Amino acid sequence: MNFSLKSYLKRLRSIILGILIIGILPALLFGTNTQVEQNVWEYSIRNLKYPLFPDVFEKYQYSMTIFFAALLSGLVAALILTFFTTLLPRFLQRIVYGLLTFLESLPDLFIVVVLQFTVIYIYQSTGILVANISNVYNNPIYLLPILTLAILPTIQLFKIALLLMKDEQHKPYVTVARAMGLSRFYITIVHVFRNILTSLVQYYKTIFVFMLSNLFIVEYVFNLNGIMNVLLYTKGVAFMVTALMIAIPFSFLFEIAESNTIKVNKQEEEEAA
Amino acid sequence: MILKLFKQPQAIIGFLFITSLLIFSFYWPSMLDVDKTEALKLQDFLYDDDGRIIDAPPYSPSQVPPLGSDMFGKHIFYQVIDGAKYTILIALGIALFRILFSVGITLINPKSNFSFVNDIVQATLYLPTAILAYIFINSLIMKQSMEPMSTIKLILLQCLILIGVGVPPLISTFSNEIKAILKKDYITNTFALGSKKVYVYYKHVLPELSTKLVLLFAQQVVQTLILMAHLGVLAIFIGGSAIVVLGDIFAPMPVAIPLAGEWAGIIGMNFAKIKAAPWAILTPLTFFAMLIFALNLIIQGIQNCLETNKS
Repeated sequence: MNFSLKSYLKRLRSIILGILIIGILPALLFGTNTQVEQNVWEYSIRNLKYPLFPDVFEKYQYSMTIFFAALLSGLVAALILTFFTTLLPRFLQRIVYGLLTFLESLPDLFIVVVLQFTVIYIYQSTGILVANISNVYNNPIYLLPILTLAILPTIQLFKIALLLMKDEQHKPYVTVARAMGLSRFYITIVHVFRNILTSLVQYYKTIFVFMLSNLFIVEYVFNLNGIMNVLLYTKGVAFMVTALMIAIPFSFLFEIAESNTIKVNKQEEEEAA
Repeated sequence: MILKLFKQPQAIIGFLFITSLLIFSFYWPSMLDVDKTEALKLQDFLYDDDGRIIDAPPYSPSQVPPLGSDMFGKHIFYQVIDGAKYTILIALGIALFRILFSVGITLINPKSNFSFVNDIVQATLYLPTAILAYIFINSLIMKQSMEPMSTIKLILLQCLILIGVGVPPLISTFSNEIKAILKKDYITNTFALGSKKVYVYYKHVLPELSTKLVLLFAQQVVQTLILMAHLGVLAIFIGGSAIVVLGDIFAPMPVAIPLAGEWAGIIGMNFAKIKAAPWAILTPLTFFAMLIFALNLIIQGIQNCLETNKS
């Protein structure tokens, strides 16, 4: 672990400035809305006013639970799938890769709606409710949102991991291990996977940003009362505070990951030199 | 590069799909031999052979082939086909202008590091683009409701917002790219020989960027399409919307219907009735998925080209 507080503070400064600019711009461009008089710390959904604090913490916790559960399950699923794909013959691997390219281009909205319908259809035809499809009052749902949110990152991670695996399998250390008489199974699990995991960390930014955008659409369609819904309906100061609540911890994660990938890259360069 | 692209079968398939969809969308009334106003009219009730009312909208795909109808009894299939041209052209236009603006802004002063833009990029990483576009367009609509403006002006402003949302990240990519190109030896030499900035940009920088530009353009089209679908769900329609009152006198139900017939509008209009008429929202979504897949095929083809170029 190496982490410098200075560069994090620098990043934080630019995030705060950016959010300030974004928060002020709409009012600057199109004028403030004088018709709706409301408290700064309130936001309204369909003409009903809600206070921002302290509800927002509960919502924040709920959203983040879904987010990280989806991320973890997606990562695990992707790794397991990659492992089984590498054991397949070459032509099947190519088919899997082609299929992934197709699945990757499905919009997130499509997957959310299709999954919702599948659950409804199963319920209608068999009477078994697999999982609740919408939030009702204070009954938060977990299974379906996590599943939906996990699908697209799984596909992306799976594809990246497959590509990395392809590169990795032609490296000298694998050949040496093969020559030593170790089985393919053993090499893949013990040696190749460890190296892939470190390279996979480099793609954290794309995955995280992509998942945050998906989280929003999942929350909206499933009617979850999460942080993204609050972000959507708040204005001005409340918007900035909510945005900062998301930005600060995530930027912390980014900073840690970034400084560590730079370290890994430097090590590789030194080894190469 | 374009010649090489023709050797990639997947890129050709993607390109053919999009062109044929566009052509079909422009000429469908004559191709399918149906009257356009007749096909897109509101259909209140469905009658059987004796003239008795048998059903009210939404009709299922089996009642109104091929793909059913929405809450107003409009054929989904014709709506989607008719909306294809708007959707594709709007997405292409927005992506094009995003690229043009960001390249233009970067070329004004390529040596600065755009710290102002960088701040915004850092902040937008954590905010979904749809929310960003929503807060801007929402305040625009608020303003429009207070002081009405013409439809064309509204559409232009909305498109400007959609363009502006995508520009800051592009500027930071381009400024890195252009800086790398300007550091090359032959550029320094050209400047030393006394050529003007405009000449160097036009003659050396842009050709070197061109493949990257095409790739980014295709990716931007995909992102714009996804953004439009998200905004459609949020009931924000490009081109504004009209309020139509549905339901009976005792339970009036105001419903916003989009004026332009693009797919995001169809999704947004039917989103509230998602459980009553699933086909009305799944059809445009499937078309979105197909269009994005075609674009991804093209992107894959371009990337393959670039790889063969390198090796």
